[in-house]
Amino acid sequence: MQSTDTEFLIPTSVSEALRNIAKEDAIFLGGGTSTALLYKTRMIEPARVVWLGNVGELKGMFASPTEVKIGSMVTMAEIAADREIARLLPGVSSAAGVIGNARVRAMATLGGALAHADPRQDLPPALIAVDAKVSVRGGSSSREINLSDFYEGFLETVLAPDELITEVTIPIIPNRHSSYLRYTPTSEGDYPTVGAGASLTFNGDGKSISTAKLALCGVGAVPIVSSEANLVLAGTTGDDSVLRRAADMVREAVDPQDDERGSADYKRDMAVVFAYRALKACLVS
Amino acid sequence: MNINFTLNGKGMELDVDPMALALDVIRGLSLTGTKEGCGVGVCGACTIMVNGSPVSSCICLVGTLVDKDVWTIEGLAEKMPELIDSFVEHEGMQCGICTPGQIVAAASIDSVGASSPEEVKKYMAGNLCRCTGYQTILSAVEDHVAVN
Repeated sequence: MQSTDTEFLIPTSVSEALRNIAKEDAIFLGGGTSTALLYKTRMIEPARVVWLGNVGELKGMFASPTEVKIGSMVTMAEIAADREIARLLPGVSSAAGVIGNARVRAMATLGGALAHADPRQDLPPALIAVDAKVSVRGGSSSREINLSDFYEGFLETVLAPDELITEVTIPIIPNRHSSYLRYTPTSEGDYPTVGAGASLTFNGDGKSISTAKLALCGVGAVPIVSSEANLVLAGTTGDDSVLRRAADMVREAVDPQDDERGSADYKRDMAVVFAYRALKACLVS
Repeated sequence: MNINFTLNGKGMELDVDPMALALDVIRGLSLTGTKEGCGVGVCGACTIMVNGSPVSSCICLVGTLVDKDVWTIEGLAEKMPELIDSFVEHEGMQCGICTPGQIVAAASIDSVGASSPEEVKKYMAGNLCRCTGYQTILSAVEDHVAVN
């Protein structure tokens, strides 16, 4: 590989990292699995790389009865191995556990994965289904963004060049069940044809649905959020025919493209199938 | 840039481009057991062990190895001869190109706590063998897990 003049900085705090990023063509680096690929193919040629591997304050994971907070430098393997996350957020846990392979999961970080914004990634729909919020710090301000509003296009997010994802917060809601299911026709480690994250929150009676969330990956330039699912399911008891009707609504919401994982028509059909299965998984979980 | 890390148990200080790939740097040190296969983190031929976890050295920027504990097939073969014996005993190799990666992955299996045959199979799924000699490889790894 060719030698470069890329500056490589290793800050030890968020504030130092934010000072380091104030340069043209500077990027943050998490685990590096996606960045290395983009760099190898010269899709990116950063003048400066700010590696966050030694910023301890980004590596925390914290679960309380009301919320789960995951630092942006927590790895997929750490999320997948965490028992509290598996118990409270089974969809997020299983999505983190199927990404790529064990080697990718050991390195890839939460913040890096979200900022990478490949629409085939497993984690975003699982997180959107449980109302994840992204905490972001910039040089002079900080903000919180709903993950459902975070994506703008293929590899594009609402982040400004000098903004850093510090953590993701997921509210824990009583009587909410969540799931994530994916389908890939090729090897286990491949991106999915479609992945579906869902959650159903039930009223106090434990039978009627108060809120339904459904999001999909692999079937558009960004993760697709189906707001129709809630319109169909809220107030019902989630009978099979209603679940199927809610799932069928994604047929119009998705915008898939032909590729080696299937034709657009096939993906549209599979999006409906996996939307149904993900919703149904919330009934029994 | 000077990069410090531990390689096969020995402290290293290298003056390298931090954006170089760990694969190229390691092979440049004449540690050529680590192979490049797909080059995109999918096949597992270039697997190294970093802080006990398996890592694809072909998509690992060497700058991210600062202060890490890195092992390659050369170091692990000396450190874990019983694992090599298990691969030999089960004939867990055919053409050999994926073998170093399979062994390094097996050496790192404690990082995910896989123990049942199903867990071992799921964990090892990321290491491809194009000879499709999977059964003997899995037998070697399962045996190693059972003994340790």
